[in-house]
Amino acid sequence: MPQFLPANFLPQLVWLAVIFAVLYFAVIRPTLPKVGRVIDEREGRVAGDLDAAETAKTEADAIRLRYDEGMDTARKAAQAQVAGAQEEASRATEARMKDLAAVLDGKSAEAAGRLATARDAARATLATTTAELTGEAVTRLTGLQLPAADIEAALAAQN
Amino acid sequence: MANPMEQFSIERIVPLAVAGEDVSFTNSSLWMLVAMLVVAAFLYIGTAKPQLVPGRAQAAVEYLYDFIRDMLRENVGREGLKYAPLIFALFIFVLACNLLGLIPFIGAFTPTSHIAVTFGLAMIVFVLVLIVGFAKHGLHFFSLFLPEGTPIFVLPLVAAIEFLSFLSRPFTLAIRLFANMTAGHVLLKVFGGFVVALGSFEALPIVLGIVPLAVNVALTALELLIAVVQAYVFALLASIYLNDAVNLH
Repeated sequence: MPQFLPANFLPQLVWLAVIFAVLYFAVIRPTLPKVGRVIDEREGRVAGDLDAAETAKTEADAIRLRYDEGMDTARKAAQAQVAGAQEEASRATEARMKDLAAVLDGKSAEAAGRLATARDAARATLATTTAELTGEAVTRLTGLQLPAADIEAALAAQN
Repeated sequence: MANPMEQFSIERIVPLAVAGEDVSFTNSSLWMLVAMLVVAAFLYIGTAKPQLVPGRAQAAVEYLYDFIRDMLRENVGREGLKYAPLIFALFIFVLACNLLGLIPFIGAFTPTSHIAVTFGLAMIVFVLVLIVGFAKHGLHFFSLFLPEGTPIFVLPLVAAIEFLSFLSRPFTLAIRLFANMTAGHVLLKVFGGFVVALGSFEALPIVLGIVPLAVNVALTALELLIAVVQAYVFALLASIYLNDAVNLH
């Protein structure tokens, strides 16, 4: 096998050393660290972006929380206002109802008074009318002309 | 049929000698040079204008580099990242040599099928481990051979075994890669020889020749896999050995 010929060792080792040295010092060293730096920079950038996103998220969460709280207090204040207004309105309505009831009570009392007067007047005329009608009936039945005072007295006795 | 070992022969393209020693530019040197140039093109194009949002070429370089860095992070830890360029160099050089050697044409050559080359690469790893280990831990680095919790009466034996296994690392690293590459290319060559031999059989030349050809197609796919896997294994073992030097187990 040519691999085990000692005469072949030295030329190969020497050229390997030369070529590998060129490869390492003239090819790898000037080029690869550039890519390494870019990779590191990218990793740093991505990590930084992720951090920024994280901070933005916490900030947004805080804002959201504050917004919710603001909404809550505003809602409560509005509810209190609505309740106050409702109470006030109902109080005013009640007062007006009371006033109105008083006015109606006065009017109905007045009407009752007028009714009573009318009834009394009617009652007063009722006696005389009854007496007249009775007198007429008596006259038709008996032909007697009785004095009105007698008839009235008789009717009063009947009652 | 041609000898399947012939493909591994070293041709001296430009005979050179320094201080009486043979340092000729051979076909092995040529293909290492080609591999280096391919890697250089790949890297120089990919990193010409590094951008935060990478283009195709940069994404390809980043993909491979991230792969090596993840491997080091996993096996060595954050401290291992500074060796990423060297491990990357080993990985991509082995990968390029393995893959370029699979292009089927006359004159194709796989430097990593030669033990001299793989041993040289393994020695880079071995020397790196020694330098990092002693620079970081001084003589304390020898505690690598004294696993914790070993009973005192077997300690010398365990230490001897650990020391031997440590010394054998460059050899296993070198032989694994060399053997895989050599075996694959021998297999391809043998079946390639079958295509010629059976294809020139007078009765039914096409039918008989097509079977080893189909096998060779399948073998080429397998060898592509092995080329990538062996480059990966080489880099993985290098980072595992590096972990010993950095973290002492």
